[in-house]
Amino acid sequence: MLEAKLDAASQLKKIVEAIRDMLGECNIECNETGLALQSLDKSHIVLVSLLLGSDGFSEYRCDRGVTLGLNINSLATVLRCANNDDILTLRSEDRANELILTFEDSKADRISEFNLRLMDIDQEYLAIPETEYAATVVMSAAVLQRTLRDLSALSEAVTIEIDKEGIRFSAEGDLGKGSTHFKPCVDMENAENSINITLSEPVSLSFNLQYFSNITKASSLSSTVTLQMTAGMPAQIEYKLPSGHVRYYFAPKIEDDPYA
Amino acid sequence: MSVAVKRSPETEIDPAKRSRTQPTQFEEDLTRLHSQKGQSVDQIWARPEVPSDFRSKDIVFQQIDAEETTLNGESTVRLFGVTDTGNSIMCDVTGFLHYFYVPVPILRDGASEPFTDEDVREFAAYLREQFPGLAKIEIVMKQSLWGYRSEHKSPFFKIFGRDPMAVTRMRSSFEHNNIQFKRYEFSQQTYDNISYTLRCTVDCHITGMSWLTLPKDKYVVVPDNKRQARTQLEVSVSFKDLIAHSPDGEFLKSAPLRVLSFDIECAGRKGIFPDPAIDPVIQIANMVQVQGEKTPFIRNVFTVGTCSKIAGTQVLEYEREQDLLTDWSKFMNEVDPDVIIGYNTSNFDFPYLINRAEALKLRQFPYFARLKHVQNVVSLEKFSSKAYGTLENKATNVDGRIQIDMLQYIRREYKLRSYSLNSVSAHFLEEQKEDVHHSIITELQNGNAESRHRLAVYCLKDAYLPLRLMDKLMALVNMTEMARVTGVPISYLLSRGQQIKVISQLFRKALEVGMVVPNMKQEGSSDEQYEGATVIEPVRGYYSMPIATLDFSSLYPSVMMAHNLCYTTLIEDRSTIDRLNLKEGEDYIRTPNGDLFVTTKIRRGLLPIILHELISARKRAKADLKNETDPFRRAVLDGRQLALKISANSVYGFTGATVGKLPCLAISSSVTAFGRQMIEHTKSMVEKHYTTKNGYDFDAQVIYGDTDSVMVKFGPQELEKCMELGKEAADLVSETFVSPIKLEFEKVYFPYLLINKKRYAGLYWTRPDKFDKMDTKGIETVRRDNCQLVQNVIETALNRILIDRDVKGAEKYVKQVISDLLQNRIDLSQLVITKALTKDNYDDGDKQAHVALAKRMRARDPGSAPTLGDRVAYVIIRGAAGMKNYQKSEDPIYVLEHNIPIDTEYYLSNQLSKPLLRIFEPILGDKANQLLTGAHTRTISKVTPTTGGLMKFAVKTELCKGCKRPLRGAYAKGAVCENCIDRVPELYLHSLADLNGVQEKFARLWTQCQRCQGSLHQDVICSSKDCPIFFMRRKAQKEVETSESELRKFDFTEW
Repeated sequence: MLEAKLDAASQLKKIVEAIRDMLGECNIECNETGLALQSLDKSHIVLVSLLLGSDGFSEYRCDRGVTLGLNINSLATVLRCANNDDILTLRSEDRANELILTFEDSKADRISEFNLRLMDIDQEYLAIPETEYAATVVMSAAVLQRTLRDLSALSEAVTIEIDKEGIRFSAEGDLGKGSTHFKPCVDMENAENSINITLSEPVSLSFNLQYFSNITKASSLSSTVTLQMTAGMPAQIEYKLPSGHVRYYFAPKIEDDPYA
Repeated sequence: MSVAVKRSPETEIDPAKRSRTQPTQFEEDLTRLHSQKGQSVDQIWARPEVPSDFRSKDIVFQQIDAEETTLNGESTVRLFGVTDTGNSIMCDVTGFLHYFYVPVPILRDGASEPFTDEDVREFAAYLREQFPGLAKIEIVMKQSLWGYRSEHKSPFFKIFGRDPMAVTRMRSSFEHNNIQFKRYEFSQQTYDNISYTLRCTVDCHITGMSWLTLPKDKYVVVPDNKRQARTQLEVSVSFKDLIAHSPDGEFLKSAPLRVLSFDIECAGRKGIFPDPAIDPVIQIANMVQVQGEKTPFIRNVFTVGTCSKIAGTQVLEYEREQDLLTDWSKFMNEVDPDVIIGYNTSNFDFPYLINRAEALKLRQFPYFARLKHVQNVVSLEKFSSKAYGTLENKATNVDGRIQIDMLQYIRREYKLRSYSLNSVSAHFLEEQKEDVHHSIITELQNGNAESRHRLAVYCLKDAYLPLRLMDKLMALVNMTEMARVTGVPISYLLSRGQQIKVISQLFRKALEVGMVVPNMKQEGSSDEQYEGATVIEPVRGYYSMPIATLDFSSLYPSVMMAHNLCYTTLIEDRSTIDRLNLKEGEDYIRTPNGDLFVTTKIRRGLLPIILHELISARKRAKADLKNETDPFRRAVLDGRQLALKISANSVYGFTGATVGKLPCLAISSSVTAFGRQMIEHTKSMVEKHYTTKNGYDFDAQVIYGDTDSVMVKFGPQELEKCMELGKEAADLVSETFVSPIKLEFEKVYFPYLLINKKRYAGLYWTRPDKFDKMDTKGIETVRRDNCQLVQNVIETALNRILIDRDVKGAEKYVKQVISDLLQNRIDLSQLVITKALTKDNYDDGDKQAHVALAKRMRARDPGSAPTLGDRVAYVIIRGAAGMKNYQKSEDPIYVLEHNIPIDTEYYLSNQLSKPLLRIFEPILGDKANQLLTGAHTRTISKVTPTTGGLMKFAVKTELCKGCKRPLRGAYAKGAVCENCIDRVPELYLHSLADLNGVQEKFARLWTQCQRCQGSLHQDVICSSKDCPIFFMRRKAQKEVETSESELRKFDFTEW
């Protein structure tokens, strides 16, 4: 039995909007510590890992582990019926084949209830082992999104180089080439505009821009983003949530891999 | 604990390791063929000797090919043939002059004044001055075929040329108005334009494949020093002396024609399609059979390198490829085959041999035609026809021999899913053959005598199958009959279109009645269209009552006959009506199209006569067929009735071929106009007559009609009742039509699923006790760009709906399949789509799934990538949002090996949904959509690939076999988690049963393939991309490996 309440539906709406393009159907594991989702995107380039800790909910109850097999697009469709400041409750009985969503408008005394059919999804459980990354950059989520959007006009791929001097994004295509360079800096007034780099050795990796722009849809969830990279390894891109995170493991482009 | 695991038997093939093994099925066949004939392995190649007394008798022979040539400066038609006693002969028909007609002008100075004899002499002198090739001029009374003016014949110049070129030159001079003689105005219209060979055979009444007699005192035997041919006899005869027999009675027979079937193997390099400049020919297998006999009397194989003995087969071993080729060419000339067949010989075997010989500088090789001095040359032939589309083929001349490439024959005559020799044999002979990829052939060749023996048996089978196909499909018999009916040489049937057959018949008939055929300029364009057949708007739906079908038998031919539609009856010039005082309805008719034709009272049309003869000949052939018991004569008669039917139907098409020789839209559009009127008339008559008002139980309704058939719902549930009504209605309506138009009741569909125009399915009943078959039209079962799954689902669903009458069952079945698909339980072989990789689409077809895949595979491993000419098999895999289908194609084997997820969404919405909705919408209406979106679509399985993207880095956490939770810590490598330890015995047995299951499945598939290859003692080397078993076998192999490793996990569990 799961019962979880959020004071503002917008919290869940934003999360679902951020991941819906990448995931079709996936399982959400619920247990006493919270909700967790770990799933590969359709093209096996990105692993999405979502954690919503029980502390992030105004009320949370889950005595026995429950697995919710969800079609993310259907969930998004239902969530669109909720106003941003509605109180949202998720409920699912043990062994039930549906998820019940209630939206309450405290002022207008309106309560809407939706039953979403669950799916039975048989999938393998994958994880990326924890590692020490060679470079870690914390920067403004909005700036990252903007930078990548600009470069996507030029090419399908972006190269990210991190060294002591800063972080550099560059792309080259038929049109020409372009790059943006950021130096580490501290902005005392707007902390989120600071750029903080910790580095054990310089790194340079290329990524598919299309996927990257899908990832930065999560910018609405957090003002800053943490980029972690090691040569020849997937990058980890994390957006912090009040209690939990949305994390992406992103495979770099490798020349001879036709799937990247 | 530890588990002993059986290794799967599929290992790399190492031909050198194979020891002498048991004979294959096919080798046993070879032994049987051998013992039946009871000859030694060294077979006699040469033809029987020419009887020593032949000069004292007439020569009677069947001619098989005709070509024109020049002999001592004189045009000659060269006939090749075979005598009764099996001797080959070449006969030069001499003395025949080519000619054409021009109307004699009658106007001089505006006054009518005929050509005098004196004028003719002067005119001849005038012409000869310009055209030294002029032979003579005659004046004959003829009539143009085109249009009815009156019965009077008028004078024509019959202008003879010494050779065909001279005729062409003179004709074009007339047509360009370059002839100025006195003050006569010459018409620019010339008549009778036909090739020299056809002209001669038409005038001599020689039809294709017919018998000829050369009277003993009339022919001349060509002295040895002047001989040009390799045939046993070489004679010449004047065209006036030879006697042509029409193919009736005694002359229905066939000479003992020698049919040679062959196949070559070449040793290609890995990943590259064999190139004659580099890759050697290593084997040639040959089978020679006498037409009409059951078994080949020569079976041999030429090999490079040693080769173990093959039962009943002569093995000719050569050290050098050069010697093999030279000897094969000699073998050809010694056997002297009349017919050469094979599979894809036109585009592969012949060009390869010729080009290979050139690369090896074997100058003697390309001389196996029947003419000594004619070299075999490969040429590119482009052939366009409305019926067959544009085909580009290579052609190799083998003058004097008939060449039938069974691949081309089958392509023309049958519509199949795949034309590989393997699947064609499976379809027609119900027999499979191995499909050995050319890269394996080199391995076998480089092995030892045993592995080459294996290859030789394979090669022999490829030579034997075309022979069996030809017998089974009666290809030669049917083509012979078609040649006899239409009069053209048999070689025209494969190399030319439909028109030449009608032209040949038209000229033959015109000659009989003294008419000449205008030479029309080909100026029409193919865009010019006229209104075609009518289609009554279908009342779509599922009919669970009998639907009677009324057909017009041979609609278009009978319309032409009934209304006397012909070039010769068309009134083009309306003043003719007043001039001859013709009455409408009596002397002439007005077609629904507004064209005028005279009736039979005035003149009987030529086309109706031809059609009448064809149709009554067909009736006779069918009647004879009923009484005939001899199987060969039955085959001949059946081939003939079929040829007659096809010929009758092609006459209408000839008149409508706007880019054709003699298009006449007045005829063809009148024919379709009559057809439309008749269909409408039938509909209204049936619906007016069979009503409750007239005392019938139901109001009949015509639910559909197309071209020549009308489907009627009479109402009653009983089959017998409907059949009676159908027969009655057919007779009733027939009475209102002019003979020989006849509406026939043929069959009842019950139940009947009418999907749309030209798309329906139903059970076909001709008698009330048992249905004949399930009949479907326009439903996706043969289209090749569909995967097997679509075909299977549609077929099974239709079976459930129509035969079991279980719509619920059909729905359930479809849902189950969709659910299986989403859970990845459908066998991969069902999802494979295959397409041939041709040069055209390789160069500019980057956006085609199979081309894109071939290129990607090449980048991965050039050795195993498909090359030009290969069939590329692919499946569609899951890709990122926005990826195009052609980017998502993948090699099925690669998919199996790396566990790549299939794009189930693609298969559901691009492959299954449309055909399924088409079938189910008429039955379920709007509810049909639920088949694709219902509860059964909510259980899915997501496969994790083992390659690409993140997979290099991701760690798969094994799940507990008991509760499916991720296994961690000390339990990570084991089979179960700490909570499920007590269930280990149960779970172990389960896994063991799994392994046993897949092992048995694999073993079965393996033996299935061994059976197909004909030997249970040899490894399977087949990799046929068209064969579902192949993919199942590879999948089962993979499953065995997976199950083995699953079972091994118990080794790491303490219990």
